[in-house]
Amino acid sequence: MIATSNYLILAAVLFCMGMLGVLIRRNALVVFMCIELMLNAANLTFLAFARERGDATGHISAFFIIAVAAAEAAVGLAIVISVFRARGTVNIEEIQTMKH
Amino acid sequence: MNTPSFGLDDFLPVLPAAILTAGAILLLVSEVFLGSATRTYQALLAVVTSVAAGALAFSNAFLPAHAVLQGYAVLDPFSSFTTVVVCLGTGLGALLGAGFLKHRNAERGEFYALLLFAAAGMSLLAMSAEFITLFVNLEVLSVSTYALTAYLRRGPRPSEAGFKYFILGAFAAALLLYGAALLYGATGTTHLSEMAAGLGAAAKAQPALVACGFFLVGAGFAFKVAAVPFHMWTPDVYEGAPTPVTAVMSAGVKAAAFVALVRVFLFLGPVFDPEVVFVIFSALAAATMVVGNLLAIPQRNVKRMLAYSSVAHAGYLLSGVAALFAPATVAPKSGVLSASATWGADSALRGEALKGLLFYLLAYTVTSLGSFGVVGALERREDETKGNAWDLDRFSGLAQRRPFQAAAMAVFLLSLGGIPPTVGFMAKLLVFRAAVDAGLVGLAVLGVLSSAAGVYYYLRVVVYMYMRPAVEGMQTPERQWTTEFALAASALAVVGLGLLPGSVSDWLSRAGLIFGQ
Repeated sequence: MIATSNYLILAAVLFCMGMLGVLIRRNALVVFMCIELMLNAANLTFLAFARERGDATGHISAFFIIAVAAAEAAVGLAIVISVFRARGTVNIEEIQTMKH
Repeated sequence: MNTPSFGLDDFLPVLPAAILTAGAILLLVSEVFLGSATRTYQALLAVVTSVAAGALAFSNAFLPAHAVLQGYAVLDPFSSFTTVVVCLGTGLGALLGAGFLKHRNAERGEFYALLLFAAAGMSLLAMSAEFITLFVNLEVLSVSTYALTAYLRRGPRPSEAGFKYFILGAFAAALLLYGAALLYGATGTTHLSEMAAGLGAAAKAQPALVACGFFLVGAGFAFKVAAVPFHMWTPDVYEGAPTPVTAVMSAGVKAAAFVALVRVFLFLGPVFDPEVVFVIFSALAAATMVVGNLLAIPQRNVKRMLAYSSVAHAGYLLSGVAALFAPATVAPKSGVLSASATWGADSALRGEALKGLLFYLLAYTVTSLGSFGVVGALERREDETKGNAWDLDRFSGLAQRRPFQAAAMAVFLLSLGGIPPTVGFMAKLLVFRAAVDAGLVGLAVLGVLSSAAGVYYYLRVVVYMYMRPAVEGMQTPERQWTTEFALAASALAVVGLGLLPGSVSDWLSRAGLIFGQ
């Protein structure tokens, strides 16, 4: 049996990778994937704790999160497509028309 | 396994949200089966739905605070009044949207349906007393708002704004969720009340885990309410979104996020460490007020100026939140992670702070919807792709061209600046008085000083409207009765609540009867 802490460390690493990716990467689709990575890291954390405690709440939470993430992905991808149609690129650095 | 049983009492509190959802579905269906050319009826249907939901929520506000749906949600005056404010914002937003979309030939049922779905999410978010419920409702409102932001597909701006809002909103939601997962790991529950009970022991056993979870949840909320330093998305998103959507975003979304933040931290803050929570909220409040106002000063773009001003207003609200955790409000027996703090006999102070917060949210809702409404009414479709659609010059001489809109805008701007006899003044008075009573004199003084700086950029628009001649060949879209009606209603509310705040503030006094305290 693998110790819970291993899952938690994996989840923390995934979460940090996702967070760095959102902040650093320039491709909108990669940024999008990184956000999914963060949500799944949270999922893994819920599951690891739920398994350790033998508590169903964490398992159920994961299902809710998956469903919400799917809805978010649907709207998010639609927005990425509309960005691509408007300017023919999904590079974040080129998506800057508004002045500060 | 015990089978859950639900009574009628469990469903009464969520009925306003159910009405909003039913209205949204009706609108979606009407788009398929009633393909008439004019679609003003859709806006009216959305208004009727929000009025019905708001009226029901208002009557719910006089029930005693109690947990419903097995503790996943609570019904208390605090959440019910939030629903009333949200419904007010949604109704006015739908009226503003009708004229705005008609001018662009983009009036469709989806727009109002998404507005109502978002309102249902806001209403439920204000009632959530469990992290997964809270997350799901936060996403219901966020996903609807992402779609609304990118609703006008012509031109690069709306899609860009939608994209930025989506990325940062989803990022914030992920932070919040991971924080919730860590807190779940520490306490073994996602219910806020049970979590508060177990958090003291958990903080002693695993301080790092609890602290990480706490700060991640806090950062997620700070993004949602656009507190400095998590405000970067606000100006771009507010500028790029269709103006009625910006209005709803600045009012309803912010109100719901603030109420959820207050609820989560009222449960968990005192157990964790009220001192740390107090210091963090004071710092956030001070930074948000000052930075928001400073960034708004050089803006010639009125829509962007209002976006920064909404950041500043989040700062004033945060000083009310800080008052909830001030040493005078929380009994002094507290140390780092000591978990011994309790709410003392100062519940009167807390009640005042909560009442101030709700009154401010109400005041900001009518004022912000009105001011963005005027901005939207002056926008022409042809200027959408140009950068100067919201330049100050477009407001010059407005008093001669459109006396009613200029007068309404002047009222809204005075209210945003906090000048009597408008509702903005009363709201600031209540929030800052709560802060002073809680011993936060410094924060209140900073708030008053920075709102004095705000008066400069608000009055500049008034000067342009009343004292500058109109630019030659400046055209404005034809008037829409829905827009005019919404503006008149907001202006009336701004002046009326400013002159006679009595009965409303009496009702809102019930907000102190918050569940679980």
